[in-house]
Amino acid sequence: MDEKAKRTRELLASFYSTDHSAGGGAGVGSAASPRKMASPDSINSPSFDPDVYMSLLVQKLNLEGLLQKHVEMAAEIKNLDTDLQMLVYENYNKFINATDTIKRMKNNIVGMEANMEQLLAKITSVQSKSDLVNTSLFEKREHIEKLHRTRNLLRKVQFIYDLPTRLAKCIKAEAYADAVRFFIGSKPIFEAYGDSSFQDCKRASEEAIDLVIKNLEAKIYSDSEPIEARAEAVVLLKQLNFPVDSLKTKLLEKLEDYLMTLQDEHKETGASALDTLETSEPSDIGKLSDTILSLKTPTGTHMVSVGEISKIIRAYLIIFPDSERRLIELIQELFTKRYGIIERRVKERMTSADILKMIRVIWEDVTLMDEVLAEAALPAFSLEAARSIIRQFISTSFSHLLLEVSEALTKSQPMPKKGSEESSLQNALEGSKKVVIQGSLDLLLEFRQLLDDNLELLAKLRDLIVDWVQEGFQGFFQKLDERFLALCGKGYIANPDSSVIDAIQVDKVQTGLVLVLAQLSVFIEQIAIPRIMEEIAASFSGGGARGYEHGPAFVPGEICRIFRSAGERFLLLYINMKTQKISILLKKRFTTPNWIKHKEPREVHMFVDLLLQELEAVGIEVRQILPQGLVRRHRHSDSTGSTNSSRSNATREDKLTRTNTQRVRSQFLESHLAKLFEQKMEIFTKVQYTQESVISTIIKFCLKSLQEFVRLQTFNRSGFQQIQLDIEFLKNPLKEFVDDDAAIDFLLKEVIGAAHERCLDPIPLEAPILDKLISTKISKSREESQSSSLA
Amino acid sequence: GRIPSSFPLTQTVKRSVVLHNQRLTAVFLCRRVTMRGASTGIVYGGLKYQARSIADVKADTDHTSFLAGTLSLKEENEVHLIRLSPPGSELVCEGLFYHPNEIWDLKSCPFNPRIFSTVYTSGETYGASVWQIPELNSQSNAPQLEHLISLNEHSFKIKCVLWWPSGKHDKLISIDEGNLFLWSIDTSNKMAKVISQESVGMLHNLSGGAWDPHDRNAVAGICDSSLEFWDLRTMKKTSSIEQAHARDVDYNPKKQHLLVTAEDVSGIRLWDLRRPKCPVKELPGHAHWTWAVRHNPEYDELILSAGTDSTVNLWLAHPPGANDSIPVDSPKRPKDSLLNSYTDYEDSVYGLAWSTREPSVFASLSYDGRVVVESVKSYIRRK
Repeated sequence: MDEKAKRTRELLASFYSTDHSAGGGAGVGSAASPRKMASPDSINSPSFDPDVYMSLLVQKLNLEGLLQKHVEMAAEIKNLDTDLQMLVYENYNKFINATDTIKRMKNNIVGMEANMEQLLAKITSVQSKSDLVNTSLFEKREHIEKLHRTRNLLRKVQFIYDLPTRLAKCIKAEAYADAVRFFIGSKPIFEAYGDSSFQDCKRASEEAIDLVIKNLEAKIYSDSEPIEARAEAVVLLKQLNFPVDSLKTKLLEKLEDYLMTLQDEHKETGASALDTLETSEPSDIGKLSDTILSLKTPTGTHMVSVGEISKIIRAYLIIFPDSERRLIELIQELFTKRYGIIERRVKERMTSADILKMIRVIWEDVTLMDEVLAEAALPAFSLEAARSIIRQFISTSFSHLLLEVSEALTKSQPMPKKGSEESSLQNALEGSKKVVIQGSLDLLLEFRQLLDDNLELLAKLRDLIVDWVQEGFQGFFQKLDERFLALCGKGYIANPDSSVIDAIQVDKVQTGLVLVLAQLSVFIEQIAIPRIMEEIAASFSGGGARGYEHGPAFVPGEICRIFRSAGERFLLLYINMKTQKISILLKKRFTTPNWIKHKEPREVHMFVDLLLQELEAVGIEVRQILPQGLVRRHRHSDSTGSTNSSRSNATREDKLTRTNTQRVRSQFLESHLAKLFEQKMEIFTKVQYTQESVISTIIKFCLKSLQEFVRLQTFNRSGFQQIQLDIEFLKNPLKEFVDDDAAIDFLLKEVIGAAHERCLDPIPLEAPILDKLISTKISKSREESQSSSLA
Repeated sequence: GRIPSSFPLTQTVKRSVVLHNQRLTAVFLCRRVTMRGASTGIVYGGLKYQARSIADVKADTDHTSFLAGTLSLKEENEVHLIRLSPPGSELVCEGLFYHPNEIWDLKSCPFNPRIFSTVYTSGETYGASVWQIPELNSQSNAPQLEHLISLNEHSFKIKCVLWWPSGKHDKLISIDEGNLFLWSIDTSNKMAKVISQESVGMLHNLSGGAWDPHDRNAVAGICDSSLEFWDLRTMKKTSSIEQAHARDVDYNPKKQHLLVTAEDVSGIRLWDLRRPKCPVKELPGHAHWTWAVRHNPEYDELILSAGTDSTVNLWLAHPPGANDSIPVDSPKRPKDSLLNSYTDYEDSVYGLAWSTREPSVFASLSYDGRVVVESVKSYIRRK
């Protein structure tokens, strides 16, 4: 039974072609034993050994177990048998079915062959019949085809013969596009048979097409035609292989000529406008600049606005898309020239309103043009041009201001009349002050207009303008300082490289001017600069195009410093010039006589008059320009009598002291001693911008010079006495000028002291004689002044 | 020092004032030292009278010494040989010699330390002489000067005597108000002979001059309102600088054609003789007249000036061409400036002399007879 079961299982397995190794148990349903359990007790494994299995069972199980196993196994076997039986039945059934089918097929196939043969014969007959029909119809068909071709050809020939008429019709209807299409269509035929059969026809149509070309050309040239039509005409001409480029050049040249005449007229009107400008009132300038810049001159007959030019250009662009480069050149040239005109104009003095008006007019044109010809980069170009124009404008404005200031200073200078000189300095000062401050503020106002303008072009330049204005002020004040120096004949210091310049002779410089410059410098430092600084801070701050490391362009501190030192320098220069003048006077006085053989003094020497006259002149100048000092001194000569009384006091004093010469000397020395320390402080103090300070400085310097001159001489007794007399006389008049009595006294004593030292026989003049000589001199000079005032 | 028997009151008091002031000055200077670290001036108070002239004894290579002469109308005038003691701390009187008349100009011979020249007046008379200092021996404390040569061809008031500054030369120039004399001198034989003479005419009034150290044939003369230049071979004017009211003139010791003038009003001006039209540079000078001006013999950009405002100013003025490669605006370019103002003087300073042996030292002489020696070492080091 075991053997039989095994065979059956194998048969089944091979039949169902299940995996051999997977074990036959799969089909049976005892899937509970996987191959892992292929131990001897696994009944489903291929290497199952019934003996071993049995022995194992016997060993492992007790009887009850074995019995149970037996029952289990018997049940399994029964199951398997049933299954097997079922399978066999099934297969058998299938086999019987197959046999039946084969039997039926065998019956059906019989008789089919005869049908097939019949079919073949029929098809063969169809074929032969069809061949027959084909050969019989072939000739006719060929003929028909030939006829058809001829008909087409004839139709074409007909078309060509009709072409001239057709073209004429097209021309009449201005349907040039059709005409060109027809002509181009028939072109290959003309090329092939043009010389023989279709000669006349070809000629006629060529004539017609020439007319077409002519018409098209005319169309292109005509400005009244719509642009699209003209563009189409160009396209058509191009199709006809017409030399369009030459046409284009011709047209562009025409435009060019047109623009040229435009510019010429432009220039003429500009020039004439400039001519008239010189003679016309300033109010006309605005109007003139209008006519200069807009192309619409009132007289121009064929003048056109830029709008029209832009239209032309737009048309050209469409007509000749490749002409752009040339057009750009033309337009840029046009605008270059127009900006050039402004640039030339800007060299004159103009208001920013004028500039703005001009730039605005051009800018409008530029925007118009830019719409048409964006590639010309006109805005960028204009920005560049406007940049240089405005820069030029700013710098021109400043140089004009500079000129105005120096004019204001020099204009009122040479006044031949003595009387008018009194106020001329004041006028010069006030005038130049006004020019400096008002001129600067006006400029700022002008420049503000540039900033405030909403023109797009200028908005881009805003920062630059701010910088330029600041730089402009910085440069202006620096140049002003140099100009001031030059006016004083010190210009070569500021400009040492120009060896050619003849240094302006210091002698020829008006001393009054120097004083004016000193005060003007103070004014600039203290009032003008802060004021301008405020204005700049208010509306010209920012900028920053220069970059932060450079700081702002306008450095008021630096300018103030420049003018502070300039003011001091001019004040000193003034004092120096005056003292030098007096010094020459004194030098002459001391070098001319032989002091060792001097005669007894008879009168006060006339040099004192000259000295006082010079000081008087200084006083006049100084009073015009400089403010009074804060401390108002008490005048000795408030009443006429006080001069005498103070004089007599002095003589009384002298009388007392002169009783003992030794005592005189000791007193002199005591005072000398007392003043020794004061000397430096009192004589060489810092000069202030006051009338008193300047005059007293000049007097102190002169007295010091007097002392030095005296020290260079050797005197006999009379010479010493003459000095004593002159100095004694000077005492009171000098005190009229100066509030610093002590310093004057000291310096006068120094002079007498110096003379005393340099005298071989220093015996002073007797007091009564001294007194008498001085009063004679006083009365004499009084008489003189009276007679001169009467005259 | 010697106290004269008949001392005029003026002088005594002046003296005491000066002494008094010296003490004050000393205090003041000490304060200045602590404040600025600068060296103080060394004062020599040995001159008893007023004085204008001081000269560096250039030929003395062993010592830094100066010669100073007094200007006293009535008293016996003196010439002092002053020596800076080796540590440079004090001024010692090495010799005191009587001089017959008041000395207006004193120049030391550049090749013999014992020889010097003076220009003097006495009332109406005037003269110029070359002297030799006698062999110094301790016995005589006031030996007589040996009179070598009298330059007595002058018919006008003599202004100054010039030695050629750059070494041994047997010529001497003397200038009076109207003439220029070129002398050939022989000090050993006490001989002097006029080689040539040039009259400047009545219009010009010569007041001084300087001999070009680079060219022994060129001399500059100070006229009223101009500076005139002569060629000594032809005695003809070669050029002039107009509009220069100079009191003093000094050639640049290092660079030819450059010189400096001191003027009453214009202060100090530097000139290039090749371009005499306008000055190369201007320095403000002094509050009153600038009386004397001198280049430092070694550092020619250091200029010293003395003024009647009782100060001596030390300037830094770079000669043209030195810094031309540096742009004007550049902060690196050295600026001309007043380096220091020495103000410890009581009266106008007329005498000024750099020491050739020690170029960092200068001596100044104010009218009250006070010699002050200062060192400018700190300013030299700075440059």
